[in-house]
Amino acid sequence: MKSKVIELKNVMKTYKMGKVQVHAINEVNLTIYKGEFVVITGTSGSGKSTMMHLVGCLDIPSQGSVFLEDKNIRSLSKSQIAKIRGRKIGFIFQQFNLIPILSALENVMLPIDFQNNGNNSDRAKELLELVGLKDRMHHKPTELSGGQSQRVAIARALANDPEIILADEPTGNLDSKTGEHIINLLHTLHKEQGKTLIIITHDINFIRRLKNTTKIVKLKDGKIIK
Amino acid sequence: MRLTKSFKLSLNILLHSKLRSWLTIIGIIIGIAAVVSIMSISEGAQQQLESRLGTFGADIITITPGFSRAMGPGNFGGGRGGFEGESSSIDTKNLTSKDVLMLKNIPNVKYILGQISGREDLTYMTKTATLSITGIDTTVWKDITTEQLSSGRFLTSGDSYSVVLGGDVVSSTFEDGIPLNSKVTIGGKSFKVVGILEEGRGAYVPLDVARNVLEDASGDKFDSISVQLEDISLSNETITTITERLMLSHGIIDESKKDFTVSSPTSMQETIQQTMDTMTLFLGAIAAISLIVGAVGIANTMFTSVLEKTKEIGIMKAIGAQDKDIMTIFLLNSALIGLIGGVGGVLLGFFASTAISSFGGIQTAVGGGRGMMGGFGSSTYVSPELIIGALLFSVLVGMLAGAIPAYRASKLNPVDALRSE
Ligand SMILES: Nc1ncnc2c1ncn2[C@@H]1O[C@H](COP(=O)(O)OP(=O)(O)OP(=O)(O)O)[C@@H](O)[C@H]1O
Ligand SMILES: [Mg+2]
Repeated sequence: MKSKVIELKNVMKTYKMGKVQVHAINEVNLTIYKGEFVVITGTSGSGKSTMMHLVGCLDIPSQGSVFLEDKNIRSLSKSQIAKIRGRKIGFIFQQFNLIPILSALENVMLPIDFQNNGNNSDRAKELLELVGLKDRMHHKPTELSGGQSQRVAIARALANDPEIILADEPTGNLDSKTGEHIINLLHTLHKEQGKTLIIITHDINFIRRLKNTTKIVKLKDGKIIK
Repeated sequence: MRLTKSFKLSLNILLHSKLRSWLTIIGIIIGIAAVVSIMSISEGAQQQLESRLGTFGADIITITPGFSRAMGPGNFGGGRGGFEGESSSIDTKNLTSKDVLMLKNIPNVKYILGQISGREDLTYMTKTATLSITGIDTTVWKDITTEQLSSGRFLTSGDSYSVVLGGDVVSSTFEDGIPLNSKVTIGGKSFKVVGILEEGRGAYVPLDVARNVLEDASGDKFDSISVQLEDISLSNETITTITERLMLSHGIIDESKKDFTVSSPTSMQETIQQTMDTMTLFLGAIAAISLIVGAVGIANTMFTSVLEKTKEIGIMKAIGAQDKDIMTIFLLNSALIGLIGGVGGVLLGFFASTAISSFGGIQTAVGGGRGMMGGFGSSTYVSPELIIGALLFSVLVGMLAGAIPAYRASKLNPVDALRSE
């Protein structure tokens, strides 16, 4: 029996727009086990990003519960959640979301700094080497290409050696060749380091090319349909 | 997050900040500079005031026989007119050389000058006028007097039948003038004029000689005793000690029965001090207003900065920043704005006060250097306390102004922050 890392039970996320209620996530049950490679897909507005925020403990559900390693995150304080998030989950975003004033190296060091994890520059350099950007470590995000920026973001997501990597449309802003490169990189992390990988995408063709996926979650109007 | 890391990050944010932040810093620079220059000028003026008060006789306490409760500032000790008889409202000359001895070893006392005075005829050539003649102790007179010599010298211990004349005696009482080294007759005795003062309508002779010449000067009595202080600020304590010693010497137990008056020199000092305090307060209020404007500027900049950095705040929260980390980073950011403003302000304030004081120096030169107010600007003093105080204060202003924006930043919902563009 594999161990659960994240479990969503009857989760709802509701936004009030005046008198209309939007159920961005509607009665969702989902369990993700250690070492899985999960793809979350669906059309635009189907609730993928909302789902990722809930899975990544960035947001708390309007109803239902989210368990991170059997701990209900509702029972944790904000700063405890922040700590767990920083240690256990690495985020990768469509717009890379690097801090523009910091160099590649400093961006990778930042999550380690937030965790007070001692000497961080060696670890950060190792990670940049892993993603093939050792020679660019003193470059600012504006001096990097999209693919390079996303690789820095991957290195940053790995900084605290998290169990889970959450990627929201990681290839959405990249051309297909660069996108493939990024996906291969994430694949390697899954295979060689056994990371739990959760990738969000709206591109069906893209999913067909992915190998080794253990679960494909299809969302429509906030509900899981497959 | 460690403080050093937060500090590095907020410094980094500041170094990459837009022109707006630097303009904000200018606001703080001006505010702090205003405070520093006002404080340094008033502190410099204060020091100058203290040293100058000495030359005005504010460091002199005068003891006169008799006691009147109405003694006020009018009895100010070292006035230009010399120590003339007006204070001896009571005939009994009960101050003696024993009293002088009693005062000798009081800590704050620098010099003691016993003197007698009276009116006597002075004749030069064929002209005679009645003048106030003051007998003084030649050993300390030149140290304690506030008079300025116009020519010749002060009386010294070797002098006997020598006289120093007030400037007005030579220039107006005797219209044709009395040259230095000429002979005058006082009370039938011949004196040599050894010095002429810039002002004054009286004449000064050695104490012993005065006792021979003045009609009502008997034994070893004094008309008044002047005491010069080391430190003006301790004058109240010294006055108390003097009063106690003299009561002892005169065998008086009940203070209301005392037969002498100890005049305080501080009243003039207090008046000047109060004027200066008012001035400092007024200028300080202006400086405070400019500081408040600067602080509002910081708050404004920080609010805008937080808005601009909403996305980054969301990112930092996503990668594990706690609320307190965000709070620290933004608070340090505004503290740094304050600190840089403070450093700039101290420097600018220093230069400004130096410039203002050299301007004040010109004023003094034009005014002939005699007026008391004229020279006020001509020295400023930027003390280490002032520098440290100004820096701490500017950091505090920065942090206070940045507190609410920083708190807001720390409470941003990470999802909303991430969704913002
Ligand atoms: N803060 C919000 N306030 C109101 N409605 C919201 C908010 N955030 C999301 N929604 C709504 O929730 C639904 C799901 O949004 P979400 O961003 O999760 O979609 P998505 O699947 O990620 O879309 P895309 O593929 O375009 O990124 C949408 O209808 C959206 O309008
Ligand atoms: Mg989305």
